[in-house]
Amino acid sequence: MSEKVLVVDDDPDVQLFSVTVLEENGYTPLTANDGQEGMAVIRKEVPALVILDVLMPRESGIKLYRTLRTDAKFKSVPVIVLSGISKRSFLRSQNALAEFGGEKVPEPNLYLEKPVEPEELANAIKTVLG
Amino acid sequence: MSEIRKMLFVTKFEELGFDALQSLLTLRQADLEHVVFMNVIERDKVALHRGKGYQKGEEIRLREAANIRFIDWAETLFEEGMEVGVYIVVGTMVSQVLKAAEKEGSDLIVIGRPVRKGGLNYLYSGSAVTELLRRSAVPVLVYKGMAENNYLIDKPFSRPLLATDWEAASRRAVEYLKPLRGVIEKVHVMHVADEKALSKKASAMEIQRTRKVTRHKLEEICDDLEASGITARPLIYVGDPDEEIERAAQECKASLVVLGSSSRSAWAERWLGSTPRQIAEKSPYPTLLIPPAKALAAG
Repeated sequence: MSEKVLVVDDDPDVQLFSVTVLEENGYTPLTANDGQEGMAVIRKEVPALVILDVLMPRESGIKLYRTLRTDAKFKSVPVIVLSGISKRSFLRSQNALAEFGGEKVPEPNLYLEKPVEPEELANAIKTVLG
Repeated sequence: MSEIRKMLFVTKFEELGFDALQSLLTLRQADLEHVVFMNVIERDKVALHRGKGYQKGEEIRLREAANIRFIDWAETLFEEGMEVGVYIVVGTMVSQVLKAAEKEGSDLIVIGRPVRKGGLNYLYSGSAVTELLRRSAVPVLVYKGMAENNYLIDKPFSRPLLATDWEAASRRAVEYLKPLRGVIEKVHVMHVADEKALSKKASAMEIQRTRKVTRHKLEEICDDLEASGITARPLIYVGDPDEEIERAAQECKASLVVLGSSSRSAWAERWLGSTPRQIAEKSPYPTLLIPPAKALAAG
């Protein structure tokens, strides 16, 4: 059975793009439109990988990422961030949150800034999942 | 009434920019932790045009232009440890804003006032803002300044003028201000007494009685606010509410006018007029409208 990969992104075009890349490379795609939906799918399906956007309605990828990394059950689920938000801002946001929470959150497995080519995303997935 | 934790910031960029947003971030000293940006692309900008069809290319261009601005703003807020969300949608402004506010569970909607963009074109139509004020169950801040004189009040919540008409929405406004004690320096609480109270037929005793009763009611509100840690001062004006509220705002150097919005039906409002709507649309001061408890839901 192929590995499940969750795409969390509110942009239907990006969802379609990522789902197509995943299917072409033999993975089973799952989708969610925001951080809240994403976390619900993660709890239910426990995917092998999460491809995560940052700027979304209801709950951002930053909050979802932090929830994942501080939850004993899901902290080992790899994450590729795919976003228009720069890596620098993403990491600084985690530091800002760490100041409040007193925890150091590890970096995501890979960080890709939109837009990406299909091969770039496919290679990133293969690199992380091995 | 709950604190302002989540703010829906609706912008077309020309009337509300990043400086306006930053001035509102003083609300972080209260409880603000989540800002949701929203840009509504009016349907007629991309709608079916004779010989052109639906302008998908134009929609993409407008979406990406908004996205670029929002990404910049979001990066700044994320780096400060805030939570940020975004909506860029095609549709009708009022219904899209109400939908997003409901979906997000926003505590405050911020929108620019209807300003002239040039010629007879308005950035928002007055009727759209009026409709939003009437239908929103969430307080609406009509923010102003940038389009008129490039001057924005640094701390809009620092010196609010609360104009009360004793109605339920005005009482709700008092509750809304209480959690903002960390942001507010001083509140002026005013009531505009009806000019009839000073008519030639009224005796000196009657006039003084009106003043005394009004003063006591205002002092009760001030006491209530001061018990919550907010310095408050009562003010009584007499005359036309629209003019007197403006005058009071000027005299007490208000940074914001706060009003309970009308619970009248649309028909009654057209017939009787609406001070909150007039102030929201015409006054140069940012205006915070607190709806009555049972406003119409989004739809």
